[in-house]
Amino acid sequence: MSSSADLNTGVARKSRRSDRRRPRISGLGLALLAPALFLLTLFFFAPVVLTGIFAFTDLSTSTGIGRGQYVVTPNLLRQLGDQGLTEDDATAIASVSITIDEAGIARATEGGVDPDFLSEIADRFAGESFDDPRAFSRELRGLPNAPRRPRELTQTAEYFETSVLNTRFDNPEALTAQLADVAPDVSSDTIAWIVDRSYTGARFTTANFERLATQKETLRLIGNTALYVAATLGLFNVGLGLFLAIVLFYTPKPVTSFYSTLWLLPRITPLVLYAIMWKWFTWEDGFLPIVAEQFGLPSFNYMKGSVVTAWMTMISLNGFIGASFGLILFSGALRAIPMQQLWASEVDGANRWQQVRRIILPQMRWPILFVTSYQTLSLLSSYEQIWLTTNGGPGRTTTVWALEAFTTALSNYTGNLQYGLGAAMALVLVVVGLVLSIIYLRLFKFGELVSRPKIEL
Amino acid sequence: MRLQLQNFTKCFDGTPVIEGLDLTVEDGEMLALLGPSGCGKSTTLFSICGIYRADGGRIMFGDRDVSDLPSQKRNVGVVFQNYALYPHLTVEENIAFPLTVQKPRPSKSEIAREVRAIAELIHIENLLERRPAQLSGGQQQRVALARALVRKPDVLLLDEPLANLDAKLRLEMRSEIRRIQLETGITAILVTHDQVEAMSMCDRVAIMDKGEILQIASPTEMYRNPVNKFVAGFLGNPPITFLEGHTATEGRFAMDQGLFLPLPSRLRDLPAGQRISLGLRPEHFGSTGTAQASGRIVFVEPQGREMLFDVEAAPGVVLRSVQPVRDDVGVGDEVTWGVDVDRMLAFDMDGQTL
Amino acid sequence: MTKNFAIFPLIILLTIVSLPIAVMYGFLILDTFTDAPPGELWPDRFTLAHWRFLWDPSVVGNVWKAAGNSLILAVSIIVIVVPISSLAGYAVSRLNLPFRRFFLAGIMVMHAFPAVTLLIGVFFVLKFTGLYNTMIGVILVKGSLMLPFGIWIMKGFYDAVPWEIEMAGVQDGASRLTVFRRLILPQVKPGLVALSVFAFLDGWGEYLLPRILAPGSDMEVLSVFLNELVQADQLGYDFNLFKSVGVFYTLPVIILFVLFQNRLMNIFGGGTKG
Repeated sequence: MSSSADLNTGVARKSRRSDRRRPRISGLGLALLAPALFLLTLFFFAPVVLTGIFAFTDLSTSTGIGRGQYVVTPNLLRQLGDQGLTEDDATAIASVSITIDEAGIARATEGGVDPDFLSEIADRFAGESFDDPRAFSRELRGLPNAPRRPRELTQTAEYFETSVLNTRFDNPEALTAQLADVAPDVSSDTIAWIVDRSYTGARFTTANFERLATQKETLRLIGNTALYVAATLGLFNVGLGLFLAIVLFYTPKPVTSFYSTLWLLPRITPLVLYAIMWKWFTWEDGFLPIVAEQFGLPSFNYMKGSVVTAWMTMISLNGFIGASFGLILFSGALRAIPMQQLWASEVDGANRWQQVRRIILPQMRWPILFVTSYQTLSLLSSYEQIWLTTNGGPGRTTTVWALEAFTTALSNYTGNLQYGLGAAMALVLVVVGLVLSIIYLRLFKFGELVSRPKIEL
Repeated sequence: MRLQLQNFTKCFDGTPVIEGLDLTVEDGEMLALLGPSGCGKSTTLFSICGIYRADGGRIMFGDRDVSDLPSQKRNVGVVFQNYALYPHLTVEENIAFPLTVQKPRPSKSEIAREVRAIAELIHIENLLERRPAQLSGGQQQRVALARALVRKPDVLLLDEPLANLDAKLRLEMRSEIRRIQLETGITAILVTHDQVEAMSMCDRVAIMDKGEILQIASPTEMYRNPVNKFVAGFLGNPPITFLEGHTATEGRFAMDQGLFLPLPSRLRDLPAGQRISLGLRPEHFGSTGTAQASGRIVFVEPQGREMLFDVEAAPGVVLRSVQPVRDDVGVGDEVTWGVDVDRMLAFDMDGQTL
Repeated sequence: MTKNFAIFPLIILLTIVSLPIAVMYGFLILDTFTDAPPGELWPDRFTLAHWRFLWDPSVVGNVWKAAGNSLILAVSIIVIVVPISSLAGYAVSRLNLPFRRFFLAGIMVMHAFPAVTLLIGVFFVLKFTGLYNTMIGVILVKGSLMLPFGIWIMKGFYDAVPWEIEMAGVQDGASRLTVFRRLILPQVKPGLVALSVFAFLDGWGEYLLPRILAPGSDMEVLSVFLNELVQADQLGYDFNLFKSVGVFYTLPVIILFVLFQNRLMNIFGGGTKG
């Protein structure tokens, strides 16, 4: 009996407690956060969503952005002919009819046809139709005010021709009606097919991904990207970064600060200038080719002249920027190692190599992991440097995934920007990036970085 | 102003750390919340000033229920352990800050006058132009006190105010804080883990452990009559010695190690064979006493004015004694000293005082 | 530093590894003041001719106008990034918000996640909002893409301000907004300065966004200006001229870097991590 009473008060107490326990939500906090949320939604969240949506479309320069129209072109008819449209149907759809009506007169007036001639045409043929353009021309020639030259006559006749070809329709119903009108013998299924295919705007499709999954180019892009990321990361961001950090750890202070600053320069130099410097360094008549020539070595444009040198150039120019990232992080980690450990090892008679191997490197595990993970992400998706230097060349031998996505969608010389395909490629990067970042968050114990606010009221 | 906690409860992540706590601080009283770290004293303090929300019960300032009021509306002055002075403001601006955020905002001359008055009370008139970084620990402490008092709060809360000071300054600030509290007549709560601080500065001491208040009493009363073993052990330096055993016939206490002591006269009626423990404070074992205990001196610690002796009465039984300096005995000597039996404390197996 | 080991071989090794950078930057400066005979590296005469573009617009066009545009871009980015980051950073550092953990994780992901990948999506957003081909669009995009970084940096600075300052302010009767404005904000001034410098450098160096998102804008910034110069064939790759314009372009960066080196190093190193 008493225990049930206890239980009751316990429950009552607990419920009241949970009522009041939740910290009050700070209205001020929401207000302070609002501008950031707005911009992040607009320029982070929305782009991700749009990339996801447009990855499943065939949006390109030719489809245009926004709603498309319905138009049957001679080109389309030819394509459809290859896919089983009968010759008769095609001819019927392409046929031209001539009607003398208000619209035709208006077009002709605008075109600068002699008004006297036009009024004769209107008087004589209003409301009539001709199937054969030549018959109509013959009739026109008979009029008193008809122009002498045959070309002018044909031109005038053309103002009255109507054809479904090359006429733009805003909705499928209008085109269907017109087609049925022009070519009554064509079956309605065929017309529906033609109307569907005549849409000029973007449509939803998985073709981008099918293409990425099947084309040979994909494998090469993946291979290039893997090589680029692995080589840059291993040789420079981690390898060189670690080497510099350790060497500069042992050198006297003036030497250390000189070389730290020197290695930081690539990071702070604006990219465009940095690219120019590398061009000067590697192009013919540039530094390296001239030096090579004096030593009797092959001398050519190393940035674009051969596949091997292009790769070397691309990796080093990115690596020189990345090395400073490793240098800064590793130096910080090195300084955190208690000096006593190093002194102790020296007293124990360890030489420098042993000291580095046994004492320093084991303590660099987390910094190395951090640099690796963080820089993998940024190298995976970086293309600005490559775009400004080798631009994926020679040929497409140094093209990486991110560069290909970018040029496909936003910058190529053919002028047909394939937004849909580019978005599909970018989406792959977005997904990879998100998955990696979430893994890193777990790895680097995100929870410890997020402590609860201490003021509750 | 009288301050009351009624059935106060506080949880972290759903786990109650303080449950159903009742506490009353009378108007103008200075009360110490004393206890080991993690006992809930700071949690209680932060709940009173409104940084934490109470999860149950009421907090009353006089007749006003402030449980759901934010800090800004509670009118509490707080001195933090690290003083929390605003580093970018001068001392004067620091002290003036609480006034400048009042609505309506007092006039400049009024603020200046208030600041000067409080600075005089706290003896920091000559520091007003300086910045916190240019002050010593004790000076910072005074500034923090001035800032807490300048808007005449209903209650003054002090969170381990002396913990960051060196020994000499601590002594000085102890009496200073008490002087200022008495002069202003403000109701104050001092949170500390230092029993000397609590006992020397406060009218009453509330001793806390594991989220509960074990005893509230004046320092002397609490020292003399602790309610349980924890309080007895917590108060007193050098600490009390506990002797485990059971009551024996003829009003004696039999230690587990086979020694016998007379029971305090008030406990002679206890039936024989009951397990109890006795507490013997060092000052009650020495040259005088109603009973004798003998043993060998195993350790001597001179403390200047006094000396501390550890006397091994039997293997595993070490009695501690505090006496005025004497050099007639030393380590290894056998001594027989008096035990003030009637002032010994006795506890049952639950630790409650008998 | 331990002096137990010989450092001389190390310095030699270091110098060899650093040689390419030293050569590039050495000749960068050297070539702007000198001329070398065709096909040779070492200059044989001093000249100021490469700097003529500074006062003679016929050389490459109006470089000052482009510099002005870059300045506008960079300062606008500061104006967006610094205030918004310092408000939001305070909110996520100190205030009770719904989904606070989720939001912080999002910021971290966005911070680690390279924003250039989103360029295609951003392009669509600008098309739909009508901001495509405008400098305002570029500024908003660049500013927004920097926000996760800015918020994270500022959160770090706020986290370092003792909670007691905040608590004391609240006890003194000030509202959270007043506490933020009058007590906390002055404590994170170094953060505001560092973030401003960083935003400026980032905006000043930006090439991709103005080039892709506002190719037809009247406001040609220096980065685009310089690259157009290189791509215009008729100049016949006058690298000394390119370098002079490049040095002119980079001068503000160097100056800011020298002035704020220590603060920037903190951001470069600590900022990326947390």
